[in-house]
Amino acid sequence: MTALPSGLPKVLAIDDSVLIHRLLQVRLQYEQIELFGATSAEVGIKMAQELRPDVVLLDIDLDVKKQGMDGFGVLQVFKSDVDLQDISVIFISATASMEDRVRALDLGASDFVAKPFEVVELQARVRSALRVQHLVKMLAQKAQVDGLTGLWNRTYFDRRLSQEVGEAVRHHRSLSLVMCDIDGFKKLNDERGHPFGDKVLERLSKILQSGRGSDIACRYGGEEFGIILPNTVGSEAVEVADRYRRAIEQEVWPTMPGTVITASFGVADVFALTGTPTPEDFISAADTALYRAKQNGRNRVEATAMTPLLG
Amino acid sequence: MRLSSDQTTLRSEFADDPDMLGIVALFIHELPQRLAAMHTALAASDREQLGMLAHQLKGAAGGYGFPKLGEAAALVDQAIKDRNDDNVVRSRVGMLAAVAARIRP
Repeated sequence: MTALPSGLPKVLAIDDSVLIHRLLQVRLQYEQIELFGATSAEVGIKMAQELRPDVVLLDIDLDVKKQGMDGFGVLQVFKSDVDLQDISVIFISATASMEDRVRALDLGASDFVAKPFEVVELQARVRSALRVQHLVKMLAQKAQVDGLTGLWNRTYFDRRLSQEVGEAVRHHRSLSLVMCDIDGFKKLNDERGHPFGDKVLERLSKILQSGRGSDIACRYGGEEFGIILPNTVGSEAVEVADRYRRAIEQEVWPTMPGTVITASFGVADVFALTGTPTPEDFISAADTALYRAKQNGRNRVEATAMTPLLG
Repeated sequence: MRLSSDQTTLRSEFADDPDMLGIVALFIHELPQRLAAMHTALAASDREQLGMLAHQLKGAAGGYGFPKLGEAAALVDQAIKDRNDDNVVRSRVGMLAAVAARIRP
């Protein structure tokens, strides 16, 4: 699970005047931020791409002749770049008319500060932009996390899998997918009640998350999980899956003494697929292996295009 | 005899702010160079450069605790934006220099 980025939030000031940069450095020195500065549009855009700042303080009056673009131009570059479009941009200007302010806000700026700054106001506006930014990031992450288990959800799984398949093909890197399904989950729910079923889902999710840091465990749906294993060949993925299988089998359930929960696993290696692999082919290959694990008695690991090794 | 307001010395509004001491002193130290650059631009009729320098001073001076200097720089900036003739621009640069001359650490 990647958490929200740690460390101090980053603020980038883009202004052609060194006087303003010095002033900001002093005036924002007690804020819980890391402050960076650029004196031209070009450098500012480059730094934004590298640093991914939370907030940008942007001079609207950058000299178009010298800089190639003014603050509006820089803002438009930000808004048309998927990696930069969520940055909160606070415009700063010594001249801006009402029309300029409206234009800036309509282009997606989140706030406006007039030069010369009122110090407390500047600080408050930066803090406010950072608060909004924090919430935006949290919401973006929440929309991709499964509420019950805390694993990545199906939306994230689909996006990430197609991304990983693309990279594996492009860079010829190994990639495996493990699909996991809890054995007899419906019966379990019916006999022991849904609260216990939920507990099982939560505990198993913890186990599936406890593996190697690079593995991406997702809730695929209901009682099915998908684990993406970058840089991992099929035989390694089988070993990883079997570790999970054993850990689940050995889990003790204090509220239901004597209960043993098991799960079945299907493993696919992206390069065992024929033709150009697509995410859909990849999932269906792992699903086929999972189906075979169920057919062959459950609580086992099966892999496509490989002799069953473990179980 | 009272001094006319034009001759009173100007001190930074932030002269007592320990955080600001360093950059205010640097600002005052660099001010003659900035004015010299503006005079050079004026002599060369380089309005673009003069406008840029005035604009920067307009935006920053208040932040260093010299709002009167910022106002004087704004008048230069405005004269250039309004394409006023050289006499107007020159006299406004002169007024800006007069304000700057009253600044003391």
